[in-house]
Amino acid sequence: MLKDFIRSSRAKSPWIIHFDCGSCNGCDIETLACLTPLYDVERFGIVNVGNPKHADVLLVTGTVNHRNKHVLKNLYDQMPSPKAVVAIGACGLTGGVFREAYNVLGGVDKVLPVDVYVPGCPPKPEAIIDGVVLALKKFAEKQQAAG
Amino acid sequence: MTSILLGILALILAPLAGGLIAGLDRRVTARVQSRFGPPILQPFYDVAKLFGKEPRMGNVWQIFCAYIYLLGAAVSVFLFFAGADLLLLFFVQAIGAVFLVFGALARPSPYSQIGAQRELMQILTYEPLLILVFVGLAKATGSFKVAAIWSHPEPLLLQLPLLYLVLTTALTIKLRKSPFDFSTSHHGHQEIVKGVLTEYSGPYLGLIELAHWYEVVLVLGICALFWSTSLVGLLVLLAVTYAAEIFVDNTMARLTWRWMLGSALLAGLALSFLNLVWLYLA
Amino acid sequence: MENTLLFVLIFLPFAAAGLCWLVPSGAVRRGVVLVTAALLAAASLGLFGRGAFAATPESLLGLPLNGLITLADFALLLVILGIGLKRKNRWITILTLLQLVPLAIFELTLPEHGPIAPALVIDGLSLIMILVISIVGSLICVFALPYMEAHEQHLHLRSSRQGRFFFFLVLFLGAMNGLVAANNILWAYFFWELTTLCSFALIGHDGGEEATANAVRALVMNLFGGVALVCGIIFLYGAAKTLSIQDVVQAGSLGTMAFVAFALIALAGFTKAAQLPFQSWLLGAMVAPTPVSALLHSSTMVKAGVYIVLRFAPAFAGSAFADCLAVAGGFTFCVATGLALGQSNGKRILAYSTIGNLGLIMACAGIGTPAALAAGMLFIVFHAVSKGLLFLCVGAIEQTIGSRDIEDMRGLYDRMPRTAVITVIGIVTMLLPPFGVLMAKWMAIEAAADNLPVVVLIAMGSALGVVVWGRWAGILMSSSRTKKAWPEAQPALLRWPLAVLAGGAVVLSFLLPAVYASLVAPMLKGPIAGSAGSLASGLAAYLIYPLFLVLAAGFLYAVIAARQARAAVDTVYLAGAQAGPPESPAFTGPMDQPVVVSAGNYYLPSIFGEERLTFPLNVIAVALIIIMAGGALI
Repeated sequence: MLKDFIRSSRAKSPWIIHFDCGSCNGCDIETLACLTPLYDVERFGIVNVGNPKHADVLLVTGTVNHRNKHVLKNLYDQMPSPKAVVAIGACGLTGGVFREAYNVLGGVDKVLPVDVYVPGCPPKPEAIIDGVVLALKKFAEKQQAAG
Repeated sequence: MTSILLGILALILAPLAGGLIAGLDRRVTARVQSRFGPPILQPFYDVAKLFGKEPRMGNVWQIFCAYIYLLGAAVSVFLFFAGADLLLLFFVQAIGAVFLVFGALARPSPYSQIGAQRELMQILTYEPLLILVFVGLAKATGSFKVAAIWSHPEPLLLQLPLLYLVLTTALTIKLRKSPFDFSTSHHGHQEIVKGVLTEYSGPYLGLIELAHWYEVVLVLGICALFWSTSLVGLLVLLAVTYAAEIFVDNTMARLTWRWMLGSALLAGLALSFLNLVWLYLA
Repeated sequence: MENTLLFVLIFLPFAAAGLCWLVPSGAVRRGVVLVTAALLAAASLGLFGRGAFAATPESLLGLPLNGLITLADFALLLVILGIGLKRKNRWITILTLLQLVPLAIFELTLPEHGPIAPALVIDGLSLIMILVISIVGSLICVFALPYMEAHEQHLHLRSSRQGRFFFFLVLFLGAMNGLVAANNILWAYFFWELTTLCSFALIGHDGGEEATANAVRALVMNLFGGVALVCGIIFLYGAAKTLSIQDVVQAGSLGTMAFVAFALIALAGFTKAAQLPFQSWLLGAMVAPTPVSALLHSSTMVKAGVYIVLRFAPAFAGSAFADCLAVAGGFTFCVATGLALGQSNGKRILAYSTIGNLGLIMACAGIGTPAALAAGMLFIVFHAVSKGLLFLCVGAIEQTIGSRDIEDMRGLYDRMPRTAVITVIGIVTMLLPPFGVLMAKWMAIEAAADNLPVVVLIAMGSALGVVVWGRWAGILMSSSRTKKAWPEAQPALLRWPLAVLAGGAVVLSFLLPAVYASLVAPMLKGPIAGSAGSLASGLAAYLIYPLFLVLAAGFLYAVIAARQARAAVDTVYLAGAQAGPPESPAFTGPMDQPVVVSAGNYYLPSIFGEERLTFPLNVIAVALIIIMAGGALI
C-alpha cells in the first residue's frame, strides 16, 4: 500500500529544475510564466526548485553548445532517479536556427535522453505544462517496466 | 502512564498534523497570491515521492545526521505531550538542530556550508529568546513542567503578552519563515539552492521534512500553552498566530542575518526582559 | 585505612614528583608516573567507597604536621620571593611580601596555635574534586608521557627537561588533593600557593620569551589572588574565631566582617579561575605543552578557584553579596563564550569556554540554592572530563597536522578518523543532552530562574556556546572522502587516555543520577537542605535513564541505517560546473581552470573580536567585582 502511495505520489509531486542552456530567454519567460497565478502549476504539485538534487524533472531551454554541455550533463547526473528530461522550444529540440553554428552541438538529446519534446518558438505555457505531465506519465511507465 | 500514552499518540499523530498544516499553509499562501494552490495533502505526496527516490549520499556521517535530526525532533514532541520539563525538551530539540548543522557541514559544498553558518546564527538568535520565554512561563506558573503549565487556571497570554510576541518571533526564526529564512527556505522563497538542505536528496530529504513537521507541531504546542484554559481560545490563538505567520511570510522580503542578530535578538531580549521584570515585580 | 588513602592521595605525588626530578632515567620516570597515576586513581576510588569522613593526621614520618605545613608555607613564599628577586620583577616581590608579612604577623599573634580538629574533611564536594583530580589528572599525566617525548623531539632539545616537567605535573596533583581535603584554611592556603607555583613552572616550561612572560603574568595574577586569600583568612578568623572551614560554613550568620572575608576569598577564586578581568593568564598559559593546558583547565588550578567559592557558598547564600557574585559569574559565562565565538584558534576557544563554564559555576555558587550548588558540583565533574578530553584531542591533532586552528581541522576525519570522532564525542558531551554538562546547565537555568539578570546572561551564553561548539564539531567531519577511512596510527599511551576519557564522559553522564545521589545529595544537608530542583525530585532516575536509552537506541539505529544505506555516492552541488574528482571538490573557473572550493566559519570579528571587546569587558568585570565587594558590606 505504501509502495502504491509512493508510486502515485510521484506523478503528483513533480519538482522541476529549469536549466537555460543558451536560450534567447523567450522559452524561459514562458516556462516561468507557468508559475504565475494565471497558470499556477502548483495546482499539480509542480514546484520550481533551484537544486538538481531535489528535482524530478529537468526542463531545458535553448541550444546545447560545447561549453555548457558539461554543465547540463552534471546537473542531470546529480538528479536522483526516477527523473525525466523535457526539452523546450525549437532550440532545445534541435538547436533551432543556431544548429549550424560552429559552437553548437544541437538539441538536448545530443547529451541527455530526452523524454518529452515541447516544440514552439517559444512554446505556450500550456504546452509546457502538458509536457511536464506527459514526462511524469512516461517515467511512471518506465518504473512499471522496471518493476 | 497516561502521559506516556499521550506522548506516543503525539509521536504518531504529529507528522500527520504537521503535514496537514504545511498543506494548509501552501494552500492559504496560494490564495493570498490569488492562485488556486496545491491540494491540502500535497506535502504528503511530496514526502512520499522523496522516500521513493533513489538514495544518494555524500558520506555516512551526513546520513547519520539526518536521522538524528528526526530523532531530536520526534523525542522533543514526545516529551512535550508527555508533559515533561520545557527546558529539557528544548535541549533535546537542540540535538536535532545541532545535528542538522553537522549534516550540512559534513559536505564541502559552499552552499551547505554557508547554510550551516546561517543556521547557527538562527540558533544563536532563537535559543536565548525561547529560554527566556520558558523562564517566563515557569515564573508565571511556578513550574517548568508542561503538565503543570498546561493546567494553569488562567490564560497565560494575559500575563505574558510581550513574551508571546517574542515567542512568535523566535518561532518564525526557528521554522525559517520569511523574513528569517536564511539557512534554507520553503518553496517559492528566497534561498534558491536551499542552504543546509543543499546536499540532501531523496529519502534523506524526506526524513528532514518529516522532522520539520514534528518541529511545527512542537512550536504550535508551545504557543498553545499560552491559552490552555479553553479549547476555543487555544484554537483561536493558534489560528491567529499561524495566520499572522503566513501573512508575514508572504509580505516580507528576507532580511539579513546581521539584522536578525543585531535588531531582532536585542529587541527580543529587551521585550522579554520587560515582561519578566513586570512578572517579577507582580 | 582512611589515613593511608589520604597519604597516598596527598603525599605520594610529592614523593613521586621528587623521584621524577632526581632520577634522570626515562624508563624510571615512565614507571613512576604510571604507578602514581594508577595508585592515585585507585586511592580516589577507595576514598569514594568509604564516603565522607574527617581525619586529623598528627604527624608525617614522625614530624608534627601542622608545624611542617606552616614551615613549608613560609619556605614556599620565600621561594616565590626568590623568583621575584631573581627576575627583578617588582610585582612578584611586592605581592609575595604582601602575603609573607601579614601571614607572619597572623601566625605570630594567633592565640590558639594548636592543630585544628579535624584538619582534613572529606565530604561530597571534596570527593568530587579528588576523583576528578586523581582520575582525569592522572590520565593527563599518562598522556603526557608520549606527548612530551614527541614534544622534545620536535623542539630538538639537547638534554631532556622532562624530569622537571613531570616533577611539577605530579606535584600539582598532590597539591590539589591537599587543597580540597584541607579543612584547616591555613593548610588550604599552603596548597593553594603551591598550585600557583606549579602552574608558574609549567607554563614557563618551554622557556623562550613568550612562555616566560606568560608564566610571570600567571604568577603575578595568582599572587594577587593569594594576597586576597591571606587577607580573607585574616578577616575570616576575625569574624568567626576559627580556622576550620566547616565551622565557618555551619556557623550561620556571621556579620559584615565575614562577608568582607568571603568577598576576598571570592576574589582569590576569581583570579585562580581566570574569571574576567583575570582571564589573560589562562589564555597566556596556552604556550605550555598541551598536557599542562589540559591539567590547568580540567582538573586542577582553575577548578581550585571555583572549589573555594563553592566551599563557602552555603555560608553566604541568599545575601546581596551572593547575588552580585551570581551576576559576575553569569557575566563571565556569557561574554567569555562570546569571546570564544570570535576565535579560530582551538586552544583559545577551549580556554574561553573554560573561563565561561567556570563563570557558570561561580554563578551557581552565587545563586546558592541547593539546586544551584548541585548544578555547580555536577558541572565540575562533567566539565573536567569533557574539557580534559578536548584538550588532549587538540594536542594530539596539533602534533599530527601542525596547527591548532580549527579551520585547519576541516575534514580532519579523512586524516585522523579516530581522533576526529573522539573530538566530536567530546564536543557533543559538552553541548547536548543527555550528557552531564548540559544536564548541569539545565539545573543551573532552573535554579537561576528567580534571578532575572543571571538567567538572561546564562541563556545568552548557552546559545553562544551552541555556535562555538556546533561549527567546530561540524567541520571536523566535513569529509569528501568516498571510501572508508582507516584509523590513524597513534602511540597506545596517547590513544588510551583519549578513549578512556571519551568513554568516561559518556558513561559518567549515564550514571548522573548515581553521581548525584552518592556525591552531591549528601552535600545538600545541613544549612542548605531543601528541594534541589528537577534532578533531585526523584525525577532523575525516571527521566534520565529512559531518555538516555531512547536516545542511545535512536543513535544506534541511525548508525546502522546510515552504514547500511545502499546509496550511490554523490558529488557536491556546484551549479553544474564541478570539476575534478569528488575527493577534492572544485569548479570550472576562468580560463577553464579548476578552482578548489573552500569555506570558512563565521567568526564575526566586528561583534565578538577579542581586540575590540577585551578592554570594555574587563572594565565591566572590574565594576562588577567592586559592586560585589560593596554587596559584601551591606
